[in-house]
Amino acid sequence: MSAARAVVATGAAALVLAAAPWLLSDFLLSLTVACLMYAGLAVSWAMFSGPTHYLSLATAAFFGLGAYVTAWGVATLPWALCVAGGGLVAAVFAALVGAAVLHLRGAYFAVLTFGLGELVRHAITYFEKSYFRTVGRVLTKTPDATTVYLTVLGVAAAAVAVAAVVRASRLGLALRGIGGDEERAQTLGVSTRRMKIAGFALSAFFAGAMGAAVAVRWTYIDPPAVFNPFIGLQTVLIAMVGGAATLGGPLASAVVFSLFTEFLRLRFPYAFLLVLGTLLIVLVLYLPGGLASLVERRRPAAAAGGAARGAGGPTRG
Amino acid sequence: MADVLLAARGVSVRFGGLIAVDGVDLEVSERELIGIIGPNGAGKTTLFHTLSGLVRPTAGRLSVRGRDLTGRPPHVFAAHGVARTFQTPRVFREMTAEANVRFGLEFAGRRRAHPHDAFDDARSILAFLGLAEVASVPAGALTPARQRLLEIGMAFGARPDVLLLDEVAAGLTERELETTAQLIRRVRDELGVAVVWIEHAVRALMGVVERVLVLHQGRKIADGSPALVARDRAVTEAYLGGEEPPA
Repeated sequence: MSAARAVVATGAAALVLAAAPWLLSDFLLSLTVACLMYAGLAVSWAMFSGPTHYLSLATAAFFGLGAYVTAWGVATLPWALCVAGGGLVAAVFAALVGAAVLHLRGAYFAVLTFGLGELVRHAITYFEKSYFRTVGRVLTKTPDATTVYLTVLGVAAAAVAVAAVVRASRLGLALRGIGGDEERAQTLGVSTRRMKIAGFALSAFFAGAMGAAVAVRWTYIDPPAVFNPFIGLQTVLIAMVGGAATLGGPLASAVVFSLFTEFLRLRFPYAFLLVLGTLLIVLVLYLPGGLASLVERRRPAAAAGGAARGAGGPTRG
Repeated sequence: MADVLLAARGVSVRFGGLIAVDGVDLEVSERELIGIIGPNGAGKTTLFHTLSGLVRPTAGRLSVRGRDLTGRPPHVFAAHGVARTFQTPRVFREMTAEANVRFGLEFAGRRRAHPHDAFDDARSILAFLGLAEVASVPAGALTPARQRLLEIGMAFGARPDVLLLDEVAAGLTERELETTAQLIRRVRDELGVAVVWIEHAVRALMGVVERVLVLHQGRKIADGSPALVARDRAVTEAYLGGEEPPA
């Protein structure tokens, strides 16, 4: 699908979904918010980590930072500014951290980004304790549920649209090259450092904006709640299960997963993490390209098969 | 005298206690076709790594068209017209052959004008290399011989003035070797690109290049025309392990 068509389709879907607050019950609406939240998070995560294969576990850090921007500003700032500010703070933070750690790869990068969430969590806890003598904040003046829903929808739709544009852009090509062979990409003229920082910050923007948008759903905010590593891990899980290299994979997987998680949590409140964990292991072992690879494998196989045979055939030399 | 495109002066690379490249001087002028030979571990590839910015020399300076690029990252070398291939093909396996070539065109090659038509788009580069028919095949599905050619195509995408070829003929049959040698000649003659070619297959290389550099234990031990170098005593000793060459 071309980028323009994907953007138009996203806009159309967002318009349809915008009617939900007037059609759905409160329960279904909050379920939809959960779907949209994970859709936005998973798509923005896959925007950077999908093509580059840099496994970032920093989603919780960006999300929590965004949530705290709302916690600090919701009473005084306009709502839109809170959400945009949450995104910007996360993006700036990602750019600064990225400049320091994006030369690391593989497990080192994953562990470091995971530690980042913990670092920010403790930093904010300390900051709140020493300057405001508080461990958490009660949000009193918050926008109504419809506004929150529409904001989450807007952030998620923007994440999908931007992801589609990035895929078709030079940034997207550079990120794929970095994932394929970083040094080779460098020798072909890619400033890999700059591209990685740009991709990482862009991806963080949406995680931060999402954190800022959904923070008001909790009336009480404290660091353990918003820097919850589970949110980050679930995001990675969703994107990988769906197929991080695709746009539709994480999107579809976010919807299925949110519904599935909700169902498990209601029916099997104690066993549901066990089931999720097992599912992850099975999928990583047997379907590393995600569910999207099942669909993709079938499609181009017929088309490329003939050409690939020609390549290995007697025309060699 | 023609313009010096790429110059290395007193370049050394030290890995811990090991000296991989030891004070090598090299000047590549416009449209030159230079070969670099030497026994295993002579420092040929490490020298290429410094010439393309992948390894920062421990000592010495590197310049492209008189501009000092010592210590700059690889993409800067590429942007200044130095492109390279790798000994083991490092193609983007999941992208098509055409996308592999387009990659260089989108980055290093984007702001570099080149007078030759063959550098205009990915298709014409693939056609020049005889890869037109596999343009839409994922690079990972190509034969090793074709991946080597595609490596050259990727480097062309960067629209280089100097092309560094690292053992592009390794593992080829006698006939393929001949074709590759001719291709390298055509790159210089038809496209006007200066070429520095590292090769193990000394004979094929000597028949094509105009100047040969011989490296031994990181040092440059000879630099001259193939005929001259072949008679050089230090070179024979390096290759025969220090024995007197038969009279």
